[in-house]
Amino acid sequence: MDLLWLRVAALLYAAASVAVFPAVLYGKERWRKSSIHLAGLAWLFHVVSLAEMLIQAHHWMPVGAREVESLLGFVFASLFFVVWWLYDAISLGLFALPATFFVLFVPALGRGGYTFPSTGVRIGWLVVHIVSLMLAYAALILSLLASLLYLVQERRLKAKFKPGQNRWSWLLPLDTLERIALATLKFGFPCMTLGLVIGSVLAQETPLGASYFLDPKVIASFLSWGVYVLLLLVRHMASLRGRKAAYVSGGVLVVMLAVWVANFFSHVHGFGPR
Amino acid sequence: MTLALIGVNHKTASLVVRERVAIGRDELPGATRALAEAPGVQECMIVSTCNRVEILASVENPSVSLAGFLAQYFGLAPEEIHPYLYELHDLAVVRHLFRTAASLDSMVVGDAQILGQIKSSFAVAKEEGTISGQLEQLMQSAFAAAKKARTETGIGSNSVSIASVAVELAKRIFGSLEGRTAFLVGAGKMSEIAARHLVQQGIGTLLVTNRTQERAMRMAEEVRGRLTPRVVPFDQIYQAAAGADIILSSTGAPHYIFSPQHGASFLQQRRNRPMFFIDIAVPRDVDPAMNKLDGIFVYDIDDLQQVAASHLTEREREAVDAETLIEQEVERFEKRQLAVNAAPAIVALQQQAEAIRSGEIDRMHARLASLSPEQREAVEMLTHGLVNKFLHPPMQALKLAAREDDRARLEALCEVWSLPAGKADEDKTDKEEKKVVQQEAHR
Repeated sequence: MDLLWLRVAALLYAAASVAVFPAVLYGKERWRKSSIHLAGLAWLFHVVSLAEMLIQAHHWMPVGAREVESLLGFVFASLFFVVWWLYDAISLGLFALPATFFVLFVPALGRGGYTFPSTGVRIGWLVVHIVSLMLAYAALILSLLASLLYLVQERRLKAKFKPGQNRWSWLLPLDTLERIALATLKFGFPCMTLGLVIGSVLAQETPLGASYFLDPKVIASFLSWGVYVLLLLVRHMASLRGRKAAYVSGGVLVVMLAVWVANFFSHVHGFGPR
Repeated sequence: MTLALIGVNHKTASLVVRERVAIGRDELPGATRALAEAPGVQECMIVSTCNRVEILASVENPSVSLAGFLAQYFGLAPEEIHPYLYELHDLAVVRHLFRTAASLDSMVVGDAQILGQIKSSFAVAKEEGTISGQLEQLMQSAFAAAKKARTETGIGSNSVSIASVAVELAKRIFGSLEGRTAFLVGAGKMSEIAARHLVQQGIGTLLVTNRTQERAMRMAEEVRGRLTPRVVPFDQIYQAAAGADIILSSTGAPHYIFSPQHGASFLQQRRNRPMFFIDIAVPRDVDPAMNKLDGIFVYDIDDLQQVAASHLTEREREAVDAETLIEQEVERFEKRQLAVNAAPAIVALQQQAEAIRSGEIDRMHARLASLSPEQREAVEMLTHGLVNKFLHPPMQALKLAAREDDRARLEALCEVWSLPAGKADEDKTDKEEKKVVQQEAHR
């Protein structure tokens, strides 16, 4: 039964992770409440699952990767609730809840891991994984482009564009460029998250199992996801707009370069000629 | 009597210099009176806009120094102002005035506001009694020429006014203006025009403030259309500004109203949402250093005009036609002026003929005594008709000689008819002369 409760907890953490983004980034009160309630419920199921798992194993200390991962997820979630309770800082949930979900994800698949029912289904999910990540990168590139154009347009407006600069008249208004940069950044995030989750499921099925996640490219991908969340959070919390926000969006470039460079060090997830 | 004009404008002086010699709306009557009292000045008016400060006068002789008045009035050393001044006389004044009124001398060619501004200055001069005969006629001709240039060429089409440029720039920053908040600080004419543009573009909220609350209320009433502007007390200017996306400032304050410190505070309060300051005041209301703040864009009057000027390729073509038209008008005015010089001779000729005619009627009085009143009236009419017919060729010849500035011919004609040539100012037959001048003006 502990696996069932763990799966329920993982699903609820996933739902809470989804709800926390509009709650933090858009200040939506309903989403905020939903996120906390879902996370609280997930935490309860998690407690039940952990207790049952340890009781069944007849020990009080976690043994094996699966139990350690489950306990690590529990610690993440618990710390989040402590901070939320003390400081009413739901923003931390942007990291803590998805991180908890990711940590729980592999143990929640079961002791034998998850096996796809057929090669066709596996390939289908592989396509979704690739498309999601490609969409995420495309969104990031578009966001970066919009930010660069923002800087050009801003410079033009600040310099009181002189006669002869009409060749830039096609540039979109500043506000529109900023909206595009932010919207694409926000669109790319769920794509990247979905891509990583599906990638994790695909990876645990490989003969490498958990060690797959020690590959530099896979680690860089998860780190880039963390940087992505940080970008969104910084933009929101510091009310970053304009030039500074455009520079922060430049961080996207760093993220993409990091993954690209990691590709050359990857032994299990490389692409292209090396 | 000589026409003279001195001034500084956007071509000769930067905004910083123009700010120093700007004459506010409230100061204009006093300055005009002071100018009228200057030695050698017979008639005068002052045009002070954000782009130019010009003194127009008819003076006793060309040596009368208007520049001295300007320096003295503003307490400036002559060397501080001289490098930026231009000085024109007689026909050059006429040409400059016609071109200015037709907005051909504006940074934004075709800008309709300059004509209104000159008319306002003219009205002030009229009120102060500093303008009459020669300058009044010149101004009326300038207004007519400007009107003709606007109606007969396309310089006024595709409005590239300061207000429309400001709105266009606001769109470059905010995209759509729908739902945005605009704040008018100071209730000037240009603010009013800009406010109308903003309302047309779907601005969500319009706030108005002015040192004089009544004036703000009046302006709010005037721009009221799709939305009702809200009047903000002047002491709440900074609270209101923090909530505004577009701030259009046009007060007569002698110092900056908005400083970078204010800007930083606004940005903090509005979570870095951008702000657009349109500063059309001279002297400026917004510290230009504010433009360095991330998220704040400041455009002063020169900046706006520079942007507008860069959009004017279309108008430049129309401006060529307008220049030709203005040149024709200047020529016409000149001819009219010369024709006026023939007026005393024409009047004298008419008076001489009338004296002869009435003398002959008087001489024949005894013989005509038997005539009935109707018959006497017929004789009067007959003699009048004969005299007019006889006078027509020499009058035309006089006018033509004057129009063609052929002084030798004019003098010869006057000599033949024993008429007083070139004594227009000395003759006291004003009524008759004006009639001749009016006839010429209507041609």
